[in-house]
Amino acid sequence: MLFLSHLCLQAAKPVYTLYGRVTNASNEPVSYAALSFNDGKFVTTTDVDGLFQIKLERGVYTCKTSAFSYQAYEFTLDMAKDTDYNIELKEDAVQLQGVNVIGKSIGKQLEEGAFSVNAVEIAPNLNKMVTLNGLIDRTAGVKVRREGGAGSDFDLTINGMSGNSIRYFIDGVPLETKGTGLTLDNVPLNTVERVELYKGVVPSYLGSDALGGAVNIVTRKKRQNFLDASYGIASFHTHSGDITGQYYVPGSAIVIQPTFSVNYSRNDYTMKGVEVWSEEQDRYIFTDKKRFHDDYFSLFGQIEAGVNDVKWADRFFVGVSYNKLDKDIQTGAMQNKVYGEASRHSSSFNVSAHYNKRWDRVASRLTLSHTWDHSETVDTACRKYSWDGTWMPSSGNEMNNRARTIRVYKRPLTVLNAGIDYELNEHNSFAFNYMLNRRGNDRYDEADRNFEPSNDVVTKQIFSLTYSQSFFDRKWQTSYFIKDYINSLSIKQTDDFTITGSNEIDRDKTKSYWGAGIGSRYLFCKPLALKGSYEHSVRLPLSRELLGNGTTVYPNLSLNPEKSNNFNLGIFGSCYFGEVNRLSYEANGFIRHVDNYIRATVSEREGMMQYVNEPAIDIKGFDMELSYIWNSSLQITVNGSWSDARDLKKYKTDGNPSATYKNRVPNRPWFFGNIDASYIFRDIVLKSDRLRISAEYQYIHWYFLNWEAYGAVSSKARIPTQNITNLSLSYSWHSDRYNLSLECNNIFDRLAYDNYMLQKPGRSFGVKFRIFIN
Amino acid sequence: MRKFKSLFASFMALFFAFGMASCSNNDEPDQKPDDPTIIQDYHFDLWVALDRHGGMGRDVQTLVRSLNSLEADQPEITFQGAGTEVNSILSLETILKGAYYYQVPVSGDRFAKYIIKDNKVEVIKERRFQKNTYSTRKYTHAWINDNTLVIMAANGDASQIIWTKLNAEDMTIISEGTLDVKMPEGGELFTTSGILTYRASDNKLFYFYYAKTGKAFGGKRVTPMMTAVINPATMAVESDTPCFLDCEMVGTAYGELLQSTTFIDGNNNLYIACVTDDAEGNEHSHLLKIPANSTSFDKDYDGFTAEGKLISVMYVGNNKAVAYAREDKIGTKIDDFSHYYTVLDVVAKTSTPITYNGQDLGYSSGRFSSRMAYVNHKAYIGVDAQGKSPQIYIYDVEKNQTSLGATMSSGYYFEQIRVVEDVK
Repeated sequence: MLFLSHLCLQAAKPVYTLYGRVTNASNEPVSYAALSFNDGKFVTTTDVDGLFQIKLERGVYTCKTSAFSYQAYEFTLDMAKDTDYNIELKEDAVQLQGVNVIGKSIGKQLEEGAFSVNAVEIAPNLNKMVTLNGLIDRTAGVKVRREGGAGSDFDLTINGMSGNSIRYFIDGVPLETKGTGLTLDNVPLNTVERVELYKGVVPSYLGSDALGGAVNIVTRKKRQNFLDASYGIASFHTHSGDITGQYYVPGSAIVIQPTFSVNYSRNDYTMKGVEVWSEEQDRYIFTDKKRFHDDYFSLFGQIEAGVNDVKWADRFFVGVSYNKLDKDIQTGAMQNKVYGEASRHSSSFNVSAHYNKRWDRVASRLTLSHTWDHSETVDTACRKYSWDGTWMPSSGNEMNNRARTIRVYKRPLTVLNAGIDYELNEHNSFAFNYMLNRRGNDRYDEADRNFEPSNDVVTKQIFSLTYSQSFFDRKWQTSYFIKDYINSLSIKQTDDFTITGSNEIDRDKTKSYWGAGIGSRYLFCKPLALKGSYEHSVRLPLSRELLGNGTTVYPNLSLNPEKSNNFNLGIFGSCYFGEVNRLSYEANGFIRHVDNYIRATVSEREGMMQYVNEPAIDIKGFDMELSYIWNSSLQITVNGSWSDARDLKKYKTDGNPSATYKNRVPNRPWFFGNIDASYIFRDIVLKSDRLRISAEYQYIHWYFLNWEAYGAVSSKARIPTQNITNLSLSYSWHSDRYNLSLECNNIFDRLAYDNYMLQKPGRSFGVKFRIFIN
Repeated sequence: MRKFKSLFASFMALFFAFGMASCSNNDEPDQKPDDPTIIQDYHFDLWVALDRHGGMGRDVQTLVRSLNSLEADQPEITFQGAGTEVNSILSLETILKGAYYYQVPVSGDRFAKYIIKDNKVEVIKERRFQKNTYSTRKYTHAWINDNTLVIMAANGDASQIIWTKLNAEDMTIISEGTLDVKMPEGGELFTTSGILTYRASDNKLFYFYYAKTGKAFGGKRVTPMMTAVINPATMAVESDTPCFLDCEMVGTAYGELLQSTTFIDGNNNLYIACVTDDAEGNEHSHLLKIPANSTSFDKDYDGFTAEGKLISVMYVGNNKAVAYAREDKIGTKIDDFSHYYTVLDVVAKTSTPITYNGQDLGYSSGRFSSRMAYVNHKAYIGVDAQGKSPQIYIYDVEKNQTSLGATMSSGYYFEQIRVVEDVK
């Protein structure tokens, strides 16, 4: 009835795009200027380059543009077509003490939408020597668990769901299309506008089977020529360089966007308290030693070319990208497994095409991508290494004491993502999405003649249909969606069947699963809004979980899809005190009932990881964030997250009671938080220069490796509490054209572990220079 | 700790069901008496898993709890807040002798000697590998005497058999090398561990192995079980002969770290549990015998003719062995409730399932969970039956009677019962 009652037909209005640039009298961009239309009914802000873009229905609008140190500017325009509108702001002679910035970035608008979302704006962090992982790790409800230094494997957890419950996208397309070597660790930062973190319920246009959430990297889409380049150097012989740009071919609509990124780190940080054999003392002693075989090199190159706003396409781009990764492997899944020669290499080549077109009420999008992904794990040294770098001959290879191996994985990936949206009227719209994801897994070994080659194929198809409503002047927004997940497996591998379960599965099967959900938000007033969402979702196992990673993760071919009922309830709002004080808050509670929860286990015996199903898991928790901004200069953000995951399977599959019933699920962080503070000084040495000082503190409470209720507490393995403090200083001048930053991470050199017996880097220093020309 | 009077004090050597043997003199080879183990001061270490049964490299949370008694008058055994979490150091697959555990621990780079005491795993002595390296849980072993332990396994690419002789007192490596056995024709891999056992009466090491083709899963055995007879002093191979029966050992990957597949009776006959496949692929177990003073199998002897597969055998004296066996008709998976305990008479060649009050004990799950321990004339066996709490039964060998033992709380996967001498 609700559906029908809301399906009222009303006069539909076409939607047009307003875009442009805000500059000062010197034609320098004005960053983060606020544009408010019709007294705040619609708002947007400029990015770091002064660019803005907003979709508006046909009509006449009054727009007020304001920015710190500039006089407000008001204008009226008639939106009857897509419009390019540039604005020049005059500097305020009396130097305003502050501007009441009421504009909201797209990210902020997302956060205030029906779904539970964090939007991480990249612009304030562009000058830091930081990765997307590092930024995401500091947001409420999100935890990134690393196995070591730069380039090491990581797991992302959103609201208690394991990292692989999370799907990664770049502009709505699975990130894996760029190759297995490209991760949140090495996506070039200066290509990114923001990162959207969907917690729990994921919008269907992402065409995803995500269960715990999704990460969508939104790249910068400027409408001007520019060049953005940076170079950073840091401790542990770490270097990173990014260059990206855009060039409009004069006299045409053709745009060329090249991107190039390279990262290197020796990761030779000191490992504290590791075991080394002492001949003198005739025993193992504990000492500090540097990592000696952990080099990481990644390279990413991409060129995209296409057109914007031509008759037959709003946007059409084709692109090619190449990604290469070389990584030495220093340890197994625990640091007492020391390797000195094993390494992993991957290279990927991707071709893709993206097409968007809107016809009045109908919008369509299509992405087609194919990736040739080649990775190999080289373990040909019959040596046993120690932390002091010495070795002795071994009867087998390093990683599992078996035959020498050069294990090759060819994992071609084809992705098709197509969607069509239909706006029935200003209150009702529909969206249909189809996603095809076909991953091959051709394995063979160039050294071990006894390895049996195999070629597995995992194919996912996801259909989704969304109906969205908007009422009461957009104060009440609701989306309903339904999804059909089709999973097809073709498994050929048979080796290590006792570990991988390859002898227990139907090797060729196709199964269909249904999911559905709803998300709704009501904005009572600026200080108070409520949102809630529910989804019955299915997550099909990732290739990494199902097929392993060839090095530290065993395949588990008998993994079943996770199924989950996700409930989210949030409250958020903003309060202004005078013209210079702004306090905003957000709190979210969530409940997840997960069946066949997939979690990583560490086999200490093997030094390997494997993903397993937990029959029934119940997760509940909440996260909150409080942010205070004073005078656009001081910003303090505090966030905290707590979750409690319990095993709810009362009986084992054999009918006997489960000892772990109602026990907390082990080996996962459940209480953590961050405090970030920054202050911006302006016009210190040069006009329009800025100095930003930031301090960050991160706390992660300790947790048990194994089920907590069993065994004497004194004998139990645990991952200790982390207290990490970072400092950074960033100076920008010439209106952000030149930027220099200095930073110190883990300033107190605290021991830090995210995973059992896998030490993370200690104190490190870094410096980064960035230049932006447009 | 309880003290037991020895009825056979003249025998000082100990013989555990796990394939370990000992003797009274460090310099002399072991004397393996017909009489079972008599220990004065001991306790039981119960090994359990929480997630599912262990074995075959399964990643499970393993807990060990030391108990003075497994008699029926004991309170229900629980691991809630009790016991030692051993995963980060120890493997379930281990060697036990006297008071000490010996193994290649999870670090996989050393030989080590431990005790489990006061909910802690204490390192007694560790020794870094020198030349030959072994994987955790994938090796076989034998005691030549109280202080000399021989470890043996296939090397990394399974093209050779390597061995290391250790002084168990300080874990020094006495010697190590490669066994002089040639890869049989058509074979590409040796068995991962094989089975090594020592017979004191003729001072011989017997190494049982076979060769197979290369593919790990599709790999096929190309030889019958082979027997290499080894001089324990020089580790020279004195003979290397195929078995008369086209069979293989019932366990090949972990030696006798979880189960015992060999034993020596009071007449110094050596027995080994083997298995053959019929035309339909069904497995049939056999208990073969190498008579005393011989290095060849007795072609006319098969001590086990019942259906199914022997999993573990433990000699308990009086020509009897307690066996953990599988009824293949019911199920052959690790967790199937298809495993039962039976008493083998090696002379009469009979198999008599153990009963309590005239009733079968019920089938257990856990192929690698033979919970059998023998001490002072009593066999302690653990039954993990469907829908019931794990239950210990005590089989009195002399009286041929079974009594009820302690009960364990529901929810745990019963793995091993181990008899551990108290540290003096």
